[in-house]
Amino acid sequence: MSTQLTYEERDLVAALRQKDDQAFGYLYEHYAGALHGVIKQVVGDAELGNDVLQETFVNIWRRIDSYDESKGRLFTWMLNIARNAAIDKTRSKGFQQSQRQIPLDGEVVQPSVRPGIDDFGLKRLILKLKDEQRLLIDLSYFQGYTHEQIATALHIPLGTVKTRIRSALTQLRVLLS
Amino acid sequence: MNIKEYISSGIIESYVLGLVSDTERDEFEALCAQYPEIASARNAFEAALEEQLLRDAVAPSPQLRQQVQEKLANISAVPAIDSAEESGTPVRRMGAWRWLAAASLILLAVASYMLVNSHNKYNELAAENHSLRNQLEQSSNQLAAMQQDAQMLQSPGMKMAALKGTPHAPQALATIYWDTASNRKDVYLMINNLPQPPSGKQYQLWALLDGKPIDLGVFDMNVRQTRLLVKMQNVQKAQAFAITLEPNGGSHSPTMDDMYVQGAL
Repeated sequence: MSTQLTYEERDLVAALRQKDDQAFGYLYEHYAGALHGVIKQVVGDAELGNDVLQETFVNIWRRIDSYDESKGRLFTWMLNIARNAAIDKTRSKGFQQSQRQIPLDGEVVQPSVRPGIDDFGLKRLILKLKDEQRLLIDLSYFQGYTHEQIATALHIPLGTVKTRIRSALTQLRVLLS
Repeated sequence: MNIKEYISSGIIESYVLGLVSDTERDEFEALCAQYPEIASARNAFEAALEEQLLRDAVAPSPQLRQQVQEKLANISAVPAIDSAEESGTPVRRMGAWRWLAAASLILLAVASYMLVNSHNKYNELAAENHSLRNQLEQSSNQLAAMQQDAQMLQSPGMKMAALKGTPHAPQALATIYWDTASNRKDVYLMINNLPQPPSGKQYQLWALLDGKPIDLGVFDMNVRQTRLLVKMQNVQKAQAFAITLEPNGGSHSPTMDDMYVQGAL
């Protein structure tokens, strides 16, 4: 099965590079929901999620030539575009005025699990991690803070932040498989 | 290098999820190309992640697809300006849009600076303009007044008396213009040359009739700056005129010792 998928993906990428509308339609049908789920978990708002998803597909369309299959799967590439766009949106002024912000200045309040946002996908998986690990994944992956920013905010040495995130991610891999 | 340890260090997940630094990314990609085990471990994690996220997909609103298609149609019509090179795992980079945003911020700052500058310049010029206008108005008024005085000197019934300096002040000189043609018989004084009075003192003009002085008022020296002629009090009859130096406000009778000029008609 995986051979067939890889082959299809190669065809799909080739067609996308030709700016083939049909291939793009397939891409949207197939992946919009998965990308949307992650975007929604980052921005936490359905309408904003739609905006970001639209930006994501525009970016995919524009940048498909820069996708390098030797560096990873198409989905991984698209997922990173989606996550970056979502985090960019949360950094915009309008968003910060309208949303509750977790202050990254020392005292971090662990938010409760929001239904429809935190109870599926990666967020559901990381609920199974220790609080401390879940917080680190949330701050780094879903909120886009750098390791340095997290170290400063939580008063943890940078090396420790990195080690703990890595360890949380290896557990995430176990939970995925 | 221990490949197994590297694979289980969490670097693969960090790389795939976009949580590595630029250095770590470059290193990981180099090692992936070198060691197939690393590449296949990466592929396995990517596949598991993709599978999980596809399973937990959240369908976007149905209209969105149409919106995306319309947007793409617009973009296709216009050549893309965003050709930012993007690697397999896009991490946050300064894309063309960010450069554009940065450039426009700089442009905005420069424009604001220039705006403030030119606004200040404008204020300066406006103030200068205002003060020039005031000066012009003042000068025009002075000129008009002096022209009026000059015209009066030419009127036919105007009598003139030159008041010459006394031994007390030989250089002193003043001129009386007496408009005997008018009913009011206005008296005007031209100060040709009088020394500046000491403080507390003022000059006073007198008309002399049959040896008696008639007070025609005091005057200040600075009137010369704006008028040729100083209008004094009227007198119906006079044979001569004289100016004495008196305490401020003038005196009832002239202080003869302090007479500066005098002259008959």
